[in-house]
Amino acid sequence: MNKFSSRVYQWMDERFHLSDAIDFMKKKYVPVHRHSVWYYFGGVSLFLFIIQVVTGILLLMYYKSGEDQAFESIHFIMSKVQFGWLIRSIHSWAANLFILAAMIHMFSVYFERAYRKPRELTWFTGMLMFFVGLTFGFSGYLLPWNELAYFATKVGTDIAGVIPIIGEPMLYFLRGGEDVTGATLSRFFGLHVAVLPAVFTVLLGVHLLFVQIQGMSTPLHMQHLEEHEIKKMPFFPNFVLRDLLLWLIVLNILAILAVYFPWELGRKADPFMPAPAGIKPEWYFLFMFQTLKYIPGHVLFIDGELFGILMFGLGGLLWTMVPIWDRKSAEGKRNKTVTYFGLLIVIFIITLTIVGWLV
Amino acid sequence: MKTSGTFLLFILAVMVSARVVRADDQCYVCHSGLGDEPSQKFVVDIHFKKGISCAACHGGDSKSDDMDIAMAKKNGYAGVPKGDAISTKCAECHSSAETMKKYGSSLKTDQWDELQKSVHAKVSFTGKEHIAQCTTCHGSHGIVSVRNPASPVYPSNVTRLCSQCHSSAAFMRAYNPALPVDQMEKYKTSVHGMKHAKGDIKVAECASCHGSHGIRSVNDTRSTIYPANLPMTCAKCHSDAAYLKNYKIPTDQFEKFKLSVHGIALLEKKDLSAPACNDCHGNHGATPPGVQSISKVCGTCHALNAELFSASPHKKAFDEQKLPECETCHSNHDIRHATDELVGTSGSAICIKCHSESKNTKGFAVAKTMRALIDSLQSQQKIAELLITDAEQKGMEVSEAKFKLRDAHQARLQSRTMVHSFNEKQFREIVSTGITVAGFVQGEARNSIDEYYFRRKGLGIATVIITILVISLYLYIRRVETE
Amino acid sequence: MVEHPARETQKDKRDFLKLILVGSSFAWLASIIYPVISYLKPPKQSEVVVKSVKAGKISDFANDSGTIIKFGSKPVLLIRNANGEFKAFSATCTHLDCTVQYRNDFGLIWCACHNGKYDLNGRNVSGPPPRPLEAFVVTLQGDDILIHKS
Repeated sequence: MNKFSSRVYQWMDERFHLSDAIDFMKKKYVPVHRHSVWYYFGGVSLFLFIIQVVTGILLLMYYKSGEDQAFESIHFIMSKVQFGWLIRSIHSWAANLFILAAMIHMFSVYFERAYRKPRELTWFTGMLMFFVGLTFGFSGYLLPWNELAYFATKVGTDIAGVIPIIGEPMLYFLRGGEDVTGATLSRFFGLHVAVLPAVFTVLLGVHLLFVQIQGMSTPLHMQHLEEHEIKKMPFFPNFVLRDLLLWLIVLNILAILAVYFPWELGRKADPFMPAPAGIKPEWYFLFMFQTLKYIPGHVLFIDGELFGILMFGLGGLLWTMVPIWDRKSAEGKRNKTVTYFGLLIVIFIITLTIVGWLV
Repeated sequence: MKTSGTFLLFILAVMVSARVVRADDQCYVCHSGLGDEPSQKFVVDIHFKKGISCAACHGGDSKSDDMDIAMAKKNGYAGVPKGDAISTKCAECHSSAETMKKYGSSLKTDQWDELQKSVHAKVSFTGKEHIAQCTTCHGSHGIVSVRNPASPVYPSNVTRLCSQCHSSAAFMRAYNPALPVDQMEKYKTSVHGMKHAKGDIKVAECASCHGSHGIRSVNDTRSTIYPANLPMTCAKCHSDAAYLKNYKIPTDQFEKFKLSVHGIALLEKKDLSAPACNDCHGNHGATPPGVQSISKVCGTCHALNAELFSASPHKKAFDEQKLPECETCHSNHDIRHATDELVGTSGSAICIKCHSESKNTKGFAVAKTMRALIDSLQSQQKIAELLITDAEQKGMEVSEAKFKLRDAHQARLQSRTMVHSFNEKQFREIVSTGITVAGFVQGEARNSIDEYYFRRKGLGIATVIITILVISLYLYIRRVETE
Repeated sequence: MVEHPARETQKDKRDFLKLILVGSSFAWLASIIYPVISYLKPPKQSEVVVKSVKAGKISDFANDSGTIIKFGSKPVLLIRNANGEFKAFSATCTHLDCTVQYRNDFGLIWCACHNGKYDLNGRNVSGPPPRPLEAFVVTLQGDDILIHKS
């Protein structure tokens, strides 16, 4: 067995210089410190994305887009296709865990100031991927064409329509017409399985390339230490093996979730039915949804909803642009503003998500 | 001599008193002198006897013997009242309890109110008045009490009175062309009608069921003959044991009907398609269905059952023994929901009334088989239902099997009908389709339940594998790092 | 889990830990591949049955015939009358929940359980059914027949 694998390795090595890559990775080190655990969340996000790709392709084998078939085909997958229930439940669960892992990854990078020079571009590509991830979630949510998804999409796209000037055409463009219909479903389907994966893959490639070239960021408080004073472990095989270990655990968690908490399909969307009570978006949009509810009808002289959206836009922009306005960190100094801004946002998001969940 | 003397005296007294009362009624004095019809008839009129003058209805001054004064417009003379004025004239006194009391009458005073709410209050074809006025039924000038056989509304006369209009197709066409005009003809053939013809005034005539002044259409929910009210209307007499003492018929039909499937459907669930008394007994031609007609009467609704029964071997046997067809097993007024208990050879089964192991043995065997088939279908269906519920509670998707289960339910219902063929082969066919379906559904449900456990087992195995892998990987990492 | 081939020694080969590692890796792979292969295996019913709307092509239905269509979890009777017009009704008898059928010998909708009959407008005309059948709307989209709830 081992002989065979070593022969395959040699065959590959002669042609593709694998040992160069391995040597490169071996020379790469991952700093070891009390915040090392956060390094793993990038890998977990990556793993969950891979699962999404695999289960997504599998679902594509049976899924049929279209008003009169979408719901039925998911129902078919869950009831008729062997392990269809598993694939679909894993896809749904992994989607949520992906957003969660990506969020943790993002916040840890933010609070560790890992975005500072020279990793600005890594941060930007990461943020872009996060937004693409949210769009993935939003578009994928509609595909089963069930009641909840239908109305969540209606509300979600409605919010986009509030934006002045571009809102109306954007709403029209997103929905593929005036209302959420089969046309919207086709659009979202195309977006979900073709456009977004392509964009995401490119961004992911660039992001990983940057990480490999630059290596892991060392926290600010360790910067003043000499090279030999920093505790570290080789990226390969130590860190990679640990990554694998965590991935396995995540996979098992997914399987348990899929078996014990199978993702519900609900009832088929009926545009002529009144909206069911308790419509809520996916949990990661909940804080925005809840905030928009609390904003009064008019703030100053602009529409309340528009004001909320503008604030979220502004907040998101500020957040994304943190490598640009945070000059201090780049120079190795502590920047309290960044911490306070970050904490404010984290507390805000957590509070409103909990409120939204309970209300 | 003494009696005849008393009699003469009595006659004299009556004549004198009439004279005395009438002495100041110049209308009557003059008109009776002329010998015209109204005054001739008026002698027997109850109003005349109560001392009411012509002027009470016709107006004018009854005290004057001068025609020009008595019948002067300025003295209120109105001549012959026309249209609704007739009834309002009557109502002036008859709707006033006070006035009626003054004349020592205990009559009700709601007749005019009731009449105005009745079908007869619709506008007549002249467009100027109600269809019926008081005089239409009670007559004029010769009005007598309803208890007087001379009254047109006396029980033995009332049918003739109503039929004057209601049996005339030409007349009825002007009001309700859809209404039949054969009620009187049918009535004559009914038990009520035949006794009525012999002068029995206790039997039902038109007004007994339809009411008198406040007659409403059959579609009016307040009508006494509205389907949901009809059983109570019939029960007025037919549940009154004292009233029917001399007729030697039972008086418990209504009590039984109330508890029957039909009674519950009609009276409690307000299902108007359920039969009331008249649906089986007829209404105007009311007569109990005879032995031969029972299955036809029930068969108007229970068509397939009746059809199957007629083709069954029981038909001949029942006819020979003069057994009423449906009634023998299901009874008549207190028909309860037919349970499976009725079929078979157990104590509560009907079959054993005629069939036993020693007598009519073939039927006994068939009954036994049929019951066994029913029971097995029922239990198979029950098992299938339980399994489906179990699978559903486990969160498995069994909507299709559940859909299929309808067929088992259908077979069960069909088998309940097919019993009436009393044909084992036909019955078995239906039941076995049901059992096959139930078996299929059970299989599907069991598969789903197995799948449920398979998922958990699979997860268990995968978890064990992953755990081993995780532990060994962990140990391996430790070793790599210590090297 | 390919190990460093260069560092491989005789001792490593017999290494119990490695044996378990490789073995469980294969078991793990199998536990992934098995569901995936099963998933890809075409199911008995090879395609989604469109529950609600699409009943089929016009040419699938003969004149003067009736077909039971599954509409969600309830049956619907699609009738094509002698003139080729389509009508659809709930196939659940209003009497006792049996499934009705079209009888072209009567030209009526008929329930086998108690001989209930409905005319081609769904009206109960004979037998025990207390109410008419619920009507569904049939529309033709090109060659396809679509059934909607009215």
